[in-house]
Parts: sequence; C-alpha cells; structure tokens
Amino acid sequence: MPGQRSLFWPLVILVAGFCLSLISATHYLSARIDRYLSFLPDRALSTLQGYAAEAAQALAEGPDALERWRRQRIEVSPELLVLVDEDRRPLAGQALTERQRRMLGFVRDYDGLMSRRGDGRPTIRVPLPDQSHYLVLRLPEALAPWGQRALLNLLLLYVVPGLLAVLFCVLLYWLLISPLEHLRRQANAMRADPLQSLLPASLARRRDELGELGRSLEFLTLRLRQSVAQQRQLMRDLSHELRTPLSRLGVAAETELPLPELRNRLEREVGNMRELVDSTLELAWLDSVPGRLDCDAVDVNALWDVLREDALFESGWQPERIVAALPQGCQVLGNLNALAQALENVLRNAIRHSPPQGRVFFSAEQADGCWTLCLADQGPGVAEADLQVIFRPFARLNKARPDGDGFGLGLAIAQRQINLQQGHIWAENGEPGLRVCIQLQAV
Amino acid sequence: MQAFHPHILAIEDDPVLGLHLKTSLERAGFAITVAADGDSGLTLAQRTAYDLILLDVMLPGIDGMELLRRLRRQHATPVLMMSAQGDEGHRIAGFDGGADDYLPKPFSTHELQVRIAAILRRVAYERERDCVVPPAANDDLLAFDEPAMRVRCGDCWLSVTPTEFRLLQVLYEQMNEVLTKAFLYQQVLRRGYARHDRVLDMHISNLRRKLTQAGIHNLRLESVWGQGYLLSWLR
Repeated sequence: MPGQRSLFWPLVILVAGFCLSLISATHYLSARIDRYLSFLPDRALSTLQGYAAEAAQALAEGPDALERWRRQRIEVSPELLVLVDEDRRPLAGQALTERQRRMLGFVRDYDGLMSRRGDGRPTIRVPLPDQSHYLVLRLPEALAPWGQRALLNLLLLYVVPGLLAVLFCVLLYWLLISPLEHLRRQANAMRADPLQSLLPASLARRRDELGELGRSLEFLTLRLRQSVAQQRQLMRDLSHELRTPLSRLGVAAETELPLPELRNRLEREVGNMRELVDSTLELAWLDSVPGRLDCDAVDVNALWDVLREDALFESGWQPERIVAALPQGCQVLGNLNALAQALENVLRNAIRHSPPQGRVFFSAEQADGCWTLCLADQGPGVAEADLQVIFRPFARLNKARPDGDGFGLGLAIAQRQINLQQGHIWAENGEPGLRVCIQLQAV
Repeated sequence: MQAFHPHILAIEDDPVLGLHLKTSLERAGFAITVAADGDSGLTLAQRTAYDLILLDVMLPGIDGMELLRRLRRQHATPVLMMSAQGDEGHRIAGFDGGADDYLPKPFSTHELQVRIAAILRRVAYERERDCVVPPAANDDLLAFDEPAMRVRCGDCWLSVTPTEFRLLQVLYEQMNEVLTKAFLYQQVLRRGYARHDRVLDMHISNLRRKLTQAGIHNLRLESVWGQGYLLSWLR
C-alpha cells in the first residue's frame, strides 16, 4: 500500500478527475446541445414572422389575395400552408385535403420545442400580428435547427476530450516531469562540478517519491562531496607527511656526515616513509574493501598477552605500567588479525600520550551480548569536540610535534578494522585521560 | 645449514632491484640466476632444479601468478612471491596458487634473507625427516604423544591442540635456538608470514598459559623481539 505522501494519490486524483470531468462535460454539453437544437434560432423565427406578416396583409386584402399569396409561397411548405383561427379551423376559401386536415391535429407553437419525430419536420403555427389567426405550415428544412448537429457532435466527441486531455497532460507534466527535470539539471550540474549543489526548495519540501529521490540525490551529492574532500585532504596530508623525511634526507645528503651515521639516518627515514606508505595503503584498502571480514571467536585474554608483550618491548615500559582486568573466558566475535591491529594501534596511542610513569589500563565488560573493551590512559585526553576527530586519517591534534612517532593513522585504521567486524569504536574522556572503547559481539 | 650454496632463481623485471638481489644474496652465500621476464624465467625454472624461486608478481610476458600456475603443474620448487601491490587479495591469491611465502615490496635485504632461510630450512627439515627418523626427544625433557595430542614434561601432562603440538615439537627439536616467525609459519602453519598476522603469537600465548597452568616453570618460551621465538630450559 503506498504511503500517505505517495505520488499514487495525486495520480489517482488526477486520473479519476480526468475521467469524471470528461464524463460530466460530455453529459452537460450534450444536454445543452439537445436543448439548443430543440428551439428555432432567432433568424428562423423572424423569417416565419415575416411569412405571417405577409399572410396577414393578404388576409386583409381578401380571399383572392390570400389565395394568390398561398400559391406564391407554396414552395415554403408544399405539404401545408394554411391560415387557421384559434380553434384550428381553416379560414374560408382554403381547400384542404384529408391528409392536410390530419396534419392540423398535431400543431406546435413555432417558438416552442421542436422534435424530429414522425417523418422529420414538425407542423408549426405562427401567430399573425393580430394574434387571433395563425399561419400553419410544415417547418421548412432550411429553417430547421438540426442542421448544426453534425458540427456540434464533432465538437462534443473530439474537441472537448482533446482539450481535457491536453489539460490533463499539463497537470501530469507539472506533477511528474518538471521535478525530474530539476533532478536532471542537478545531476548535470554535478557532472560539471561535483562540489556544487543543490536541490531546489520546492523539490526538497516534497514528501512523495520524487522528493525522496531528490533527497537521495542530495545525500549522494553530499557524500560525494565529502569523499572528494576527504581524498583531497588525504592527498595533501600524505604529501605533507612525506616531505618531512624527504627534507631530512635532503639535509643529510648535503652535510658531511660520516658514512655509518648517514646510513643510519637513511635507514631511519626510509623506515618512516615505508611505514607511512604501508599505513596509507592499508587505509585505502580498508576503505575500499566491501562488506565485512571473516569473523571467529577471539580469545581476548590471549590476544592481550601478545599485544602487551609487544608493547612492553616496543616502549621499554615497566610491566606494571600496562595492566589489565580481564574476566576469564572473554571471547569476542572478530577477526583475529584485524582486531589485533586495532587494539595494538589503540594501545600504542595510549602509550604515546601517557605522562612519564603514567599507566595504561585495559578492561572488559559484558552487557547485552556484547563485550566492551576499554583502554584508558592517564594522558591529557582530548577536547570534547575532538573525540571523533581523532579517528580521522592524519588527525594529529598536536601539530607542534611533527617528530612524534606515528602519523595519525593508527586510530583511523583501528576504526575501519573494527567497523569491518561489525563492531563499534569510540573515544571518551576519562578521569583523567582518554578512554578508547571497542564494542564487539560476545561469543 | 648453508654448507652447500643454495641455487636461487630470481624472476624480476626491475634491473636495479634484480642487480641488488644478485649482489646481496651472493654476498650471503647463495648462487643467483636472474631472469628479466616471465617467459625466460619459466623456461629456466622448468629446465634447471633450483632450491628456491623469487618471483615478482608484475612481469612483462607471462605474469607472476600465471607463471606460478604453470610451474606448479610439474614442479614443487619453493616459490617466494614479491609484489608492490601489497593488498590482501593478492596475498591470498598468491598462497592459493601455490606460493610458499609472500613478501610485499619494499622489503629489506635482511627480511628477504630471513624468509629465504625459513623456506630453505623447512625444505631441509622435511628432507631430513623423510630420511632419518628423528632421535627420540633428547634426554627426555619432553615426551610427545602424538595420537593423544599431549606432551609429558616430568610428571605433568599437557593437553594441546594439533598446531600447538607441532609448534612445541619444532621448538623443542631446535631448543635454545631462536626460530624466526617466517620459519615457524613455514614449518608449523605451512604458510607464509605477513606483517599483521597474529595467529602464531596466539598459539605461543596459549602454549605459555598451558605451561604455566601445568606448573612447568623450567621450560621457557621466550619472544626475541624482532626475531622470533626461543624455547629454553632453566635449571
């Protein structure tokens, strides 16, 4: 069943309206035409009155004159042309056949309703100017009103429906096609410049399917615009990040360094660049991978031991500075390698932002069939507004520290890895420090 | 282990990298032949018995994947694939096609040598196993009961999974020697090692927990960071 706002309803109204208006217009007009054709037109009335006046004059001049006039005008109504009194008796001096007498029995007033019954033309009477006598004759074909019927029928059967159809089409066009035209123009504009928008207000307000289509297109435009902007930003950031090691290499090449030290620097910077390119490639791959990763039960305790050991090696921290409170049997549904990488990145980030002698604390809680893994540090935390920014690629909040290890890709990669496992990752400020939480389905 | 000079065929179209491979690997004691395109590489690989083939994925002529597929019809020569397209898809396709390991470019010479050593060592190990029955575990620190999937250490019995069993066995046979991850992947998991692969680490972690739970404290399973794992016995 189409929704309340659906285009279905205007279409129903339009089509039903078209049919009904066609029917009623035809009905009304045919009634009007019938009525119009049932009365003699003014021209015919005055012609008939002219005959009556001539007859009255002839009557006044005497029976001979009358007889002369009748013979003279016989072609007007060859079957019957006679003067009668109010009781329909023929005036003296007019010989009538039996048929003509019968015809006198069905006489209508000349300004009344006409009909084509019988052999066609009705017998009518026209009052003479003295109002006491009538001229009776059969209506001459030339004066009959139904000569126009063919024309009027043409009008009724073809022109009126045609006009209504045109009107219907105009409404349909206005309802359906003109918004599509808007959309087409928008799509074309997008082809010219993907960053340009957007939907005309009239279309944006619509609640029907076309409005939805428009909004979808608008959303698509926005997403496209966002993604293009992101790509550009990524490109800029990557180039920028590559410049740092490159310029250092340039400087190293220009200075007279002893060979071992030069090699040392070379290796360090190449390592940095490799790390950067690897991470960026990884990010690009994660952004383009469709759907989700294969997930299995992952033992978080074992994984944490592995990650913690690596982190201790890497950071040189005392073991008591990285602690965990993990319940036994904490198993999540995830992809081992992806989850490991995400957690490792989060852990590295926590270590990087810890104050001297700060501790990193890992915990897990189960609720509603999900495990929430939280990693808290004792660092400065981030501003409330930046809690989501830190998951963007190359988002290093502290720009003053370009030398820091890491390029701001770790959390971005972590977020994508977690999303590909149908999980959630978010950051919140703890007391003090930052807490990064990962929610995954429990097994 | 390199008493003989393993003969390696490198199929690599980049002349600079090809030359670098040749010099660095020759310095490490390998004999190297370099082929610059797929067709000549395939011909060489089919005609001569190499110990290992380094194969670039992107090649003029027959590409690396196709070459590997054709080679595998008749030859079981170990193949290490190299590619600049470091995405997951390629990696998986490489393994399915019969590659023994995969190394994304760029890589360091050291990393390459570790991988080559791992594969050659596995091959040598398998060959030895085929010829001689391994000596019953040396002075019986551990006894392996393969049908029951358990290991005895002194009076303690350790129940392990098949992978853990194999892992412990390999580590035990090379006791007090650092085994690289690349080698352990080859030997225990029978596949190549990739950078973010944590499967081996998880097995090690589980094995350690089982050792601790069983109260075996003398047997230490240590990580040597950046290198691999080491099994040792503390007295």
